[in-house]
Amino acid sequence: MSRFWPKSLGAQLALLVALALGVAQAVNFALLLQATHRQNFVATATLAIARLGETVQRTRTGQTTPAMLRGSIATTASPLKPPMEMRADIAARAREMLEEVGIRVNRLEAAIVPASAFQVQVDNAGRLLRRAAVLRREVIVVTAEIGPRQWVTTAAPLPSLNPGVFGALIFQTMVLYGFVLLTVLWVGGKLARPLRELRLAAERFDRRQPLEPVAEQGPEDTRRLIAAFNAMRTRIVAMLDEKDRMLGAIGHDLRTPLASLRVRTELVEDEGERARMAATIDDMNRTLDDILSLARLGRPSEAEQRVDLPALVDNLVAEFEDLGADVALEDGSRLAVPMRPNLIKRAVRNLVENAVKYGGQARLRVRSEGGAALLEVDDDGPGIPEAEIARMFEPFTRLDGSRSRDTGGAGLGLALARAIVDAHGGQLTLANRAEGGLRATVRLPLGG
Amino acid sequence: MDDKPHLLLVDDERSIREPLAAYLQRNAFRVTQAGDAAQARERLHGYAIDLVILDVMMPGEDGLSLCRHIRETSDLPVILLTAMAEETDRIVGLEMGADDYVVKPFSPRELVARIKVVLRRMGRGGGVRQRAPETGSYAFSGWVLKAGERALIDPDGVSVPLSTGEFNLMLAFATHPHQVLSRDQLLDLAYGREAHAFDRAIDNHISRLRRKVEADPKNPALIKTVWGGGYTLASDVTRL
Repeated sequence: MSRFWPKSLGAQLALLVALALGVAQAVNFALLLQATHRQNFVATATLAIARLGETVQRTRTGQTTPAMLRGSIATTASPLKPPMEMRADIAARAREMLEEVGIRVNRLEAAIVPASAFQVQVDNAGRLLRRAAVLRREVIVVTAEIGPRQWVTTAAPLPSLNPGVFGALIFQTMVLYGFVLLTVLWVGGKLARPLRELRLAAERFDRRQPLEPVAEQGPEDTRRLIAAFNAMRTRIVAMLDEKDRMLGAIGHDLRTPLASLRVRTELVEDEGERARMAATIDDMNRTLDDILSLARLGRPSEAEQRVDLPALVDNLVAEFEDLGADVALEDGSRLAVPMRPNLIKRAVRNLVENAVKYGGQARLRVRSEGGAALLEVDDDGPGIPEAEIARMFEPFTRLDGSRSRDTGGAGLGLALARAIVDAHGGQLTLANRAEGGLRATVRLPLGG
Repeated sequence: MDDKPHLLLVDDERSIREPLAAYLQRNAFRVTQAGDAAQARERLHGYAIDLVILDVMMPGEDGLSLCRHIRETSDLPVILLTAMAEETDRIVGLEMGADDYVVKPFSPRELVARIKVVLRRMGRGGGVRQRAPETGSYAFSGWVLKAGERALIDPDGVSVPLSTGEFNLMLAFATHPHQVLSRDQLLDLAYGREAHAFDRAIDNHISRLRRKVEADPKNPALIKTVWGGGYTLASDVTRL
């Protein structure tokens, strides 16, 4: 059922109106049918009664015999007997009508019978009945006892329904559908257009693009909805900007005391203590960098450009090699990917750092697959329990839960990497490798 | 006493300026401090300064503006202290004529090392500053090397990221097309004499560079090996 239910506002409206109109027309048709039927019945009964009256009158005055009269027969007993459909109401009406013109009869009976059945019973039926039989109609039969063992019977066929009535009704329905549905579709479309634009604006909401307010159009309710949407969007942008400004300010304000602290560590005599202090400050600084990058994601200062991804990864690998880390990139062909290179570099650096930190080494691979660039970072570490993988992307989450400085980092790395990849329309996933260790996969769209 | 290099340290943050000045003094420098650009201009007139260490972010006139002023009026070497590691800041700083830059928070030891490098470079050039960092562009075989942005663009317009070492090598090649450059020359051109680079590092950087720019790195067409001599860029270069 739901498969046939249209999804758009205009079509739903049109379908509902069509259904309602259909029901109304059906009722209309039933009423018309009933009225026509009733009218036919009364007219036919009156005709049969009139013929009976005439026949009775002529028979009594000896002008003629029933057999000579069109559609009338004379019998010694009533031809009407069950299972014929006896109609006392017609009989009563006949008696009334006959008495009105001063004709009195003894008994009066009436029935509606199929013309064929009546013909079989009374084989000297008139031509009219014969024709009625051919037409398979029903006939109203009235019979009156005008003397002992003397019955006079007349009949009149019920007309079949005029097919023209149906035709007219169908035509009327079609015209109605045409007018009403076209109007409804048009109105529905008019209603739906501003709503569609609203939906598109909501879907395309990206605060890195300049905001065009959605045009306020359509009926008053829709206009108000659009105005409210525009206002809400402005508030959201303001809030996000405020967040970025705050993070930026926090970052910058922390840099200065950190720099001061870093200079002062040189005053510490103990060599080991001095190195540890310097390392702590470097750590804090890296976290600060991550926070600032996260804040700047919404308002990147860097333009997007097509960059050779393997070359970018190769530079990172060289940096890690210079620090003595076991990091290697498999040879691959060149692959241009649209990106903001400094952000992507940060994301990949975070992944490689994690691999080295927890897995002792990192193996990187770049390839293209189905319109996307795939970068895989493998390590030989213990991996992550499947149930924990989703949680790893939350900021400030680390598997050991300790957040101790000796394994480094505040747990922002993966969250930032994923945010950066997301901002590029890509996906970052983690999975345990069958042969042991963890694999981080970055999928970036190759663009048009 | 007077053979100590005289540094002018300009930073509005006392909490950085004072301990840093103390540290530099302990490392055989003479240090004069300034809390803002106006004070710095005054000190520049009043003392025979050898090198300026300049904070970029200062209230009032900022470090970049002061740096440009210094560059317009003298050959004094400048090292910038910047709070942001953004590439654009670095480029702007170098375009303003700074000789080097250090990102906060920095290791004072590293700052001292950089100061010594810059001073030695000055000394080697007979007191004359080396040319301002290259900011031109070079086109060869469809590639464009943009010195200002330190970017290499391939014939399809795709940016190919280079490490500092690789970029310096590429720039050395681009400014000496068709010349055979020995490892020694490359070391000198790409890293400067003071760098602790080895011949092996040159070969490593060349092979990485080839992976990035050659269609077939095993059979290089652009950066060719000259047996017994060194390397050469086998392409005409147009300065843009």
